[in-house]
Amino acid sequence: MLINKPFFQFGLVVLTVLALPFFLRSGIMASEILIYGMVVAASNLLLGYTGLLSFGQGIFFGTGSYLAGIVLTRTGVPVGLMLPMAAVLGTVIATLVGGLSIRRQGVYFVMLTLAFSQLFYFLAYTFSDLTGGDNGLLDVPRPMLNGEQLVDPWSYYAYVGVCFVLVFAAMLLVTQSTFGRTLIAVRENEERAAAIGFPVRVFKIAAFAISGAVTAFAGALHAMLIGVAPLSSIEYHTSEIILVMTIIGGSSSLYASVLGASFYLLMADTLSSIWPRWLLLLGLVLVVVALFLQKGLWGLVEKIYALLTHNRIPPEVEPSDLGTDTTAKGE
Amino acid sequence: MTQTASTTDALVTKGLGVSYNKFVALADVDLNIRENSVHSIIGPNGAGKTTLFHALTGRVRPSSGKITLGGRDITNLSDNERVRRGIARSFQVTSLFPDLSVHENLRLAAQGRTPWQALAMWRRAESNHEAMATVDEMLARLSLTRVATRAAGELAHGQQRRLEVGMAMAARPRVILMDEPTSGMGIDDIETMKDLIQGLASDHTVLFIEHNMGIVMNISDTVTVLRLGRKLVEGPPAMVRDDPEVKKAYLGNMITGDIA
Amino acid sequence: MIYLFQVLNGIGLGMLYFLLAVGLSIIFGLLQFVNFAHGAFYLLGAYLTYDLVERDISFWVAMPAAAVIVALVAGLTEASLLRRIYKLPHTFHILVTVGLALVIQEFVIVVWGPLGGSVATPKSLAGVLIIGDFIYPYYRIFAICFTAVLAFVLYWALERTRLGAIVRAGSESTETMALLGYDTLRINTAVFAFGAGLAGLAGALAAPIRGVEPFMGVEALSVAFVVVVIGGMGSYVGALAAGLLVGVIQSLMATIWPEGARLMIYVAMAFVIVTMPRGLFGRV
Repeated sequence: MLINKPFFQFGLVVLTVLALPFFLRSGIMASEILIYGMVVAASNLLLGYTGLLSFGQGIFFGTGSYLAGIVLTRTGVPVGLMLPMAAVLGTVIATLVGGLSIRRQGVYFVMLTLAFSQLFYFLAYTFSDLTGGDNGLLDVPRPMLNGEQLVDPWSYYAYVGVCFVLVFAAMLLVTQSTFGRTLIAVRENEERAAAIGFPVRVFKIAAFAISGAVTAFAGALHAMLIGVAPLSSIEYHTSEIILVMTIIGGSSSLYASVLGASFYLLMADTLSSIWPRWLLLLGLVLVVVALFLQKGLWGLVEKIYALLTHNRIPPEVEPSDLGTDTTAKGE
Repeated sequence: MTQTASTTDALVTKGLGVSYNKFVALADVDLNIRENSVHSIIGPNGAGKTTLFHALTGRVRPSSGKITLGGRDITNLSDNERVRRGIARSFQVTSLFPDLSVHENLRLAAQGRTPWQALAMWRRAESNHEAMATVDEMLARLSLTRVATRAAGELAHGQQRRLEVGMAMAARPRVILMDEPTSGMGIDDIETMKDLIQGLASDHTVLFIEHNMGIVMNISDTVTVLRLGRKLVEGPPAMVRDDPEVKKAYLGNMITGDIA
Repeated sequence: MIYLFQVLNGIGLGMLYFLLAVGLSIIFGLLQFVNFAHGAFYLLGAYLTYDLVERDISFWVAMPAAAVIVALVAGLTEASLLRRIYKLPHTFHILVTVGLALVIQEFVIVVWGPLGGSVATPKSLAGVLIIGDFIYPYYRIFAICFTAVLAFVLYWALERTRLGAIVRAGSESTETMALLGYDTLRINTAVFAFGAGLAGLAGALAAPIRGVEPFMGVEALSVAFVVVVIGGMGSYVGALAAGLLVGVIQSLMATIWPEGARLMIYVAMAFVIVTMPRGLFGRV
């Protein structure tokens, strides 16, 4: 389908970055959408492409956030160097967490990722000298550009926008590569992927590594956005909302994730200003999505597109739906 | 009736045994599969045929014995390492990538020989020209060129079975293991499959499990009969067919004849 | 002496963790369904106990009532919603039960407020047991004995009765059971309600010890996962051993290194995963 082709997806991404300022009044909100867009796309690389449902994405997000906090407030390292450091640290931790979690399959795997997210939460909580504990790390500065700090949210938005486009382009390349296609094979039929010679574990861990790099990178951008590296960025709740955004968006393309992140953040913003207990409504939304919108918002877009072009949805070498039941394969 | 080991043996097992807890699924199996021969494994249900396959492909670890491929010990290699050494398999229950195209299925299988290359996150899948050439060749050999862009899950059963075998062929293995290649097939499809298997022996060594005695007796160079996890008889089809032990094992006239 | 005290605390805590994990396991065993709302049922059990005790209803009525109400709520949810999604991939099991957990958690905050509270120990168990230097609250002794008896009854019920056989057989083949004439729909509902009821009971028992607060459910869920991962899902003995192990580690560490006590639970889990990927008693 045309709308799932990489160039089209890239076009959507550029368009999104250019269009958000016209629709949103808050530059903070717009930047947040782009940052979570990256995070959710990274989670989608695991869920949609590899068939791994990770309940531990908050670990990597928090890692990046803390790294930004520590490096920028305690050392003289510039942002331009800190961001790659965040990606590297995210890779290392994701390799570790992923490598251990994939020792079990199906739902046990999910449980492990959740338990690891608790492990890292308590690590951050316990070693408060490094992380600031409950208070987090305060006064994380924004990057400098031409000797001027990007204090204005919209100028920081431009900075995030450039990062977002680059990261997204890289991820599109990854999903189109031999590597990405092999991940799809692992998701489709793990037993066969192993039988034709792929060391499945290595590919799963590599998927984790990329996912961790992107998520930590985004976590660092987020700490600079809000000026804090808070304990909440590594909490269970962060992992939970990343997963929720991923599923709501749908997993048949990477841009679906940007849609999922936007929808969630805008809904959260609107509902929470109306009723502080809006999470109750979110709970109901999740049930509705599971019952009626299993391919997520992007699935809806695909359907509308197909109706408009009078095309049947042809089979593609794209991740086709969320329906990757690793439980069944695990037995 | 075992054949003596020779330099032309592709795959050899010595005293191969597999036990699950106390249950002995396979015991003391010596096999010498000659290079470029068609070798079939038959036996009643529960004889240990599939367990033998699992041990050969590396899916289960043997509890005793040794497996060598072209003279090199592969007993302790994992399943995917064995593919790189030249063992590929097809499954009894069709196991494809159902949502991916036929072409992509074969491309993956061809890429599986050099899996580390596939870790390259910047290289396009289509840039592996060798794999792409293999795919085209396989499509032609399997008569699947016409449906190359269709999703594997949408193919007719006979086509899926051919693709299943093609997945093993695409790895260009030295030894190709097939678990009941004709399972669930109609008569016309079986003929095509028979020709396909026979043709394989020119480039590969073929070892297959089969229930269709017509095929077994028709195209095998050697037949090994398993019973209760042990080797009962081994030899050329004519000899195996007339063996009284085999007849007893099969309780009657299941081994009849000439063609299906 | 402090260590003995903490080991006893740990056993008490561990038995609660065991109740949580075994409920999760029973549900998973029969329905192949991971209940991410399990922690929320624990939360609800604790708050219902809190509410009833606040209304001057005896703890001895409040505790079983809380468990039963939780079981009813769970049963209704299963019959009206969850049975529609069993056939979907487990992604959606997780999505729906995560949603359910959010609904319950927010409901609790709407009704009882965000601050939490404490639950008075029942009068009949107020006070402490004193033997020489050894001092231990009666309620905690009761909690240990009560859960131990319950554990034994559960073991007997699952391993030795027809009901247990049905539950265990169900995880093998729901279709066979249907063919044998069992009403699998009702069995599913009953088992889900029972497993959730156990979580509610654990919450009710925990309330006088640790008080109530709206986010205790998330912690309970992840501890239950840790217990299941360490013990091996589907293993009754594993859940018991792992529950006790986790409880004792947490209690002992609370003396040795208070800030890191809960961290150590997860470190223990990571250690088990590295050394024994299948868990202590795991088969899968």
